[in-house]
Amino acid sequence: MKAWKYIGLRLLTWALVIWIGVTFVFFIPRAFPSDPVETMISRMASMSGSMEATQVEALRRQLRVQFGLEGSLWEQYTTYLRDGLFGFNFGPSLMNYPTPVGEIIGRFLPYTLFLSVTAVIIAWTLGNIIGLLAGFRKNKRSSKILEGIAITIYPIPYFIVALVLQIVFGFILGWFPMTANILTTADRGAFIASLLRNSILPAISLLLVGTGWWIISMKSLASSVAEEDFVQYARYRGLSERRIGASYVLRNSILSQVTALALSLGGVFNGSLITEIIFNYPGVGKLVQQAILSSDYNMILGTITISIIAISTATLIADLIYPFIDPRIRYS
Amino acid sequence: MRKLVSLLLVLAMMLGVSAAFAAETTIVGTPRNETLIVEMQNPTQTAGQFSPMMQGTNMGTGIQQLLWGNLYEIDTVKGEQFPSLAAEFPKSNEDFTEHTIAIRQGIKWSDGVDFTAKDVHYTMNLMLTNPEAPSHGYYQQIFESIDLVDDYTIKIKTKESFPLLAESIGVLIWGNDLRVVPEHIYSKEENPVMFKNSNPVVTGPYTVKQFDELGNWILYELREDAIYSDVGVVTGKVPKAKYVLFQTFGDDATRTMTMVSNLVDIMVEVSPENWEVMKTNPKAAMWYPEYPYALFDDPCSKGIAFNNAKPPFSDKNFRWALALAMDFKEVSMNIFDGAGRASVLQIPATASMQELYYKPMEEWLENFELEDGYKPFNTNYAREMAEILKAQGIEVPDDDALLDDMFGIGSWKHDPEQATKLLQKAGLELKDGKWYWEGEPFKFTCNILADTEAQAGRGGQAAVDQWVKFGLDVTPVKMTHTAFTNANSLGEFDVGAYWPSCAIIRNLYRQINGWDADLIKPIGERSSGGNGERLNSPALTEKIHELARYSSQDEKSYEISTEILKIFVEELPFIGFHSGTKFVPTNNTYWTNYPTSENPYNGPWWWWSAFKYILPHIEPVQ
Repeated sequence: MKAWKYIGLRLLTWALVIWIGVTFVFFIPRAFPSDPVETMISRMASMSGSMEATQVEALRRQLRVQFGLEGSLWEQYTTYLRDGLFGFNFGPSLMNYPTPVGEIIGRFLPYTLFLSVTAVIIAWTLGNIIGLLAGFRKNKRSSKILEGIAITIYPIPYFIVALVLQIVFGFILGWFPMTANILTTADRGAFIASLLRNSILPAISLLLVGTGWWIISMKSLASSVAEEDFVQYARYRGLSERRIGASYVLRNSILSQVTALALSLGGVFNGSLITEIIFNYPGVGKLVQQAILSSDYNMILGTITISIIAISTATLIADLIYPFIDPRIRYS
Repeated sequence: MRKLVSLLLVLAMMLGVSAAFAAETTIVGTPRNETLIVEMQNPTQTAGQFSPMMQGTNMGTGIQQLLWGNLYEIDTVKGEQFPSLAAEFPKSNEDFTEHTIAIRQGIKWSDGVDFTAKDVHYTMNLMLTNPEAPSHGYYQQIFESIDLVDDYTIKIKTKESFPLLAESIGVLIWGNDLRVVPEHIYSKEENPVMFKNSNPVVTGPYTVKQFDELGNWILYELREDAIYSDVGVVTGKVPKAKYVLFQTFGDDATRTMTMVSNLVDIMVEVSPENWEVMKTNPKAAMWYPEYPYALFDDPCSKGIAFNNAKPPFSDKNFRWALALAMDFKEVSMNIFDGAGRASVLQIPATASMQELYYKPMEEWLENFELEDGYKPFNTNYAREMAEILKAQGIEVPDDDALLDDMFGIGSWKHDPEQATKLLQKAGLELKDGKWYWEGEPFKFTCNILADTEAQAGRGGQAAVDQWVKFGLDVTPVKMTHTAFTNANSLGEFDVGAYWPSCAIIRNLYRQINGWDADLIKPIGERSSGGNGERLNSPALTEKIHELARYSSQDEKSYEISTEILKIFVEELPFIGFHSGTKFVPTNNTYWTNYPTSENPYNGPWWWWSAFKYILPHIEPVQ
C-alpha cells in the first residue's frame, strides 16, 4: 500500500510539474516585448530594403491568420494543451511556415541525443570511477594526479576548451573538421563515418568539462562516506579494500549522483548550445535560441515542452528506481 | 572574447602551421576546383524545401540566387532595373490601370519545356487567389486581373492607377516574391502552396544536386543547357563553376579560420576585426585592395531615427541640435575606423545615388540654411577624414574627387554652440551644465540593436558617446532585433539606431512612401506598415502622393524625388551616418574575377537574387 502511495504521489508531482511548466512556457513568450508577425515582417522588410505600407498591412493580416494568433489567449492555450501537450502537435513553425515544429525537432533531436547522451554517460561513468578512487584512496599518488587534472580542467570555461580543441585539432593540425557537416544523404557507412568524425571534437569538449565535475562531486561524496563508522567497521572485519570501495563507499555515494545523472539526461533535450554554435553541430539548442530570438511561439513551445517532460520524467524515473538502489528508502 | 580568438588565430598563423591544405574535394565530394563555395548566412530549417510558393522557404540559401527567376532584376551599379524573365518593361495605358508585359522568348525550364507567359500567368494568379501564397494580401489589394494574351504576353489590370508595376513585381533590393514557377509542374499539384518541390524544375542556371537534411549545405549543379536559362538567354553567357556549394560555417571564429584555410570562396559579411585576421591569407580579398577595404554601396544608410511624435523629439530644432552636437568624424572612427561614405540625405550615398542625387545636390546642401540662417553642411569632411587617417599611417588618396567618392561629399558640422542654441530654441534649459525639459532633468534613451547589424549598433553607441560628451543624459538600450522592431512599431522609443533610409533606383517612391503622414498611428498603437518614426510633415506627404502618380521612366519622378530629399533635410527625422558599409570577403585561391573596386561590374551581393548575373564573370584560377 505504502509503495502505491509512493508511486502515486510521485506521478501526481510529475503531472503537476509538467502542467505548471508548460503553462509558464505558453504565457511567458507572449509577454515578450516582441511579436512573431512583426518579426517576420521586419525580416522581410529589412531584406528588401522596405515594403510599401499597403503591402505590410496586407501581410500582417495574412500572417496573423496563418500563425493562429487570431483567437483569444484562452483559446490558444486550450488548443495548445489539447494538441501540443497531449498530441505532440505544436503546429507550424512560425518562422519556417508551414513546416511543422515536430518535423523540425524530429530532424535535429537525434543528433542532440547522440552527442549529449553519449557524452553525459561516458563523463558520468569515468567521473564517478575516478572520483571514487580519488575520494576513497585519497593518499595514493595516482588519485592525487587524477584529482589535480579534474580540478585544473573543470574551472576552464567550456567555450575556451571547445575553441582550443577546434583551433588545435581542426585549424592547425586539420585532423578533424572545424565545422560539423554530417553527410545525411550518404549511404549508411559514409553517414556513420561522417557522424563520428564530426562528433569527436564536440564530444571531447563536452567530456573534458563534464568529467571534471563528476570527479569533483564524487570525490567529495566518497571521501565523506569513507570516514563513516560503517566503513571503519568493514575494515575491522577485514574486508578487502576493493569490496569496501564497491559495496560500501560506492553504493552510499552514488545516490545523489544518480539523481544528478537523471537531471543531466533530462537536460540533454535542451541541446548543448555553445557546442552547437562553436562547431556548427546540429541540435535542439540552436533551435531554442533562434525560436526565442524570433518569437517563434510554436517552436518555443515544442522544444521546451519536450524538455520539461524529459526532465520531469527523468526525475520521476530516478525517484522510482531509488528504492531498488537504496534499501533505506525501500524499508521506509 | 573576440580579441582572445583573434590572438589565438594570429598566433597560429605566426607559428606557420596553418592547415591551409588544399583539399582536393569539397565536403560533399565534388572536385574543389570545379566547386564555388559560397557562405550560407544561416542553416535552413526547411531543408529540401525549394518552392518559392511556400512561405517559409529560406530563399537566401542559393534558392533565389541560382534557381528561380524574376520578371525584372536589378543592376546595382547603375541603380536600374532590367528585364530578366520579362522581355521589356510594362506598357501601360494612360492612367496606369492596364499593363501589358511581353515575356522573354528562348528561355527553357531545366526539364527542357519552353518558358512562356503561361508560367507567369499561372504564378501571378496563384499568388492572387491562394490565401496561403506569398504576397497574397498585397496582390489582392493591387490586382484586378491577370490575363494571358498569347504565349508570350500577359495583361494585368490593377484596381487603381499603378505606375510602379515593374518596381513592385520585380527585384529592387535582395529579391521579390514573384519568382515564376513552372505551370506544367505546379498545376498538377493538389495544393501547390504546400508543395515542397525537393527536385525543382527551374529557369535559373543551376539545379539542385544534393542537400543536407540538417540544412547546413546545399549543392547546386550547372544545367547542361544553362545557355537556355534566364542568365544564359539574357547575357549570352553561362557560369563557369560546375558546382556551387552553399554552406554554413558557424560562429565568427570558425568563419575566419575557414577563410584562412581556403575552405570557402565567397563570404557574406564579416566584421573589420575578423577581416584583420582573414587578410593574413594573401588570397583573401575585399572590395578595395587596401584601406578602406569595405564596399559602401549597400542600399540602406545607417544612422539615428527619432520618434517624431514625442516632444521634444518632435521639434526639428531639437533634432538638428542633436545632429550638430555630434562630431561625425569621431562617430565614423568609432564605427569602422573611418571607413564609410557620409550619407546626409535620406538615401544612402551608394555609388549610383552619389551620382544621381548627392553630387547634383551638393550646391543646394552647401547653401542650405536653418531657420536662423546657420549653414550646417561641412563640405570639407572628406579632407578632414583623410588628415586623421594619414596621421594614423593609413594611406588615402590626395585627389579631392577620389576623397569625395571614398568618404562622401560632406557631413553635418560639429558645432556644440549652435547645438546649444537650437536645444534652447526647442524649449530645453541649461542649468549648471545640465539640460532640463519642462522643469525636469532631461533624459532619453537610444535603442541599439544588440544582435544584428554591427554598423547600426556601433553607430548608435558612437552617437550616445557624442551626446554624453556634449552634456546630454542619454542611456543606450541594447535590444534584440524583435524587441527593437516592436518598440519602433508601437512608437515606444525616443531615438533608435537603424536604417529607415534605403534607395536603389532613381524613383524613390518605393522606399520613401512609408513616411506618409496618413499612416501615422498614435503612440502605443502598432504603426500601419510605415512611418514608425511618426513624422507628421504635410509638405512631405503631399510630395509622396504626387510622386505616386508618376512612373520611374518619367523625368518628373526624379524632380519630385529631389524635392522630397530637400524636405527630409529640413525636417531631419533621421540623421544618416554612412551608406551601408559591408566587409564582404572573397578568396582567389580557386576562383577569381569577383566584382571589386577595380572591376565594379556588379556589387558583391551574393545573397541577392542578382547573384546569378555575377556568376558568369567568376573565373576558375586554373
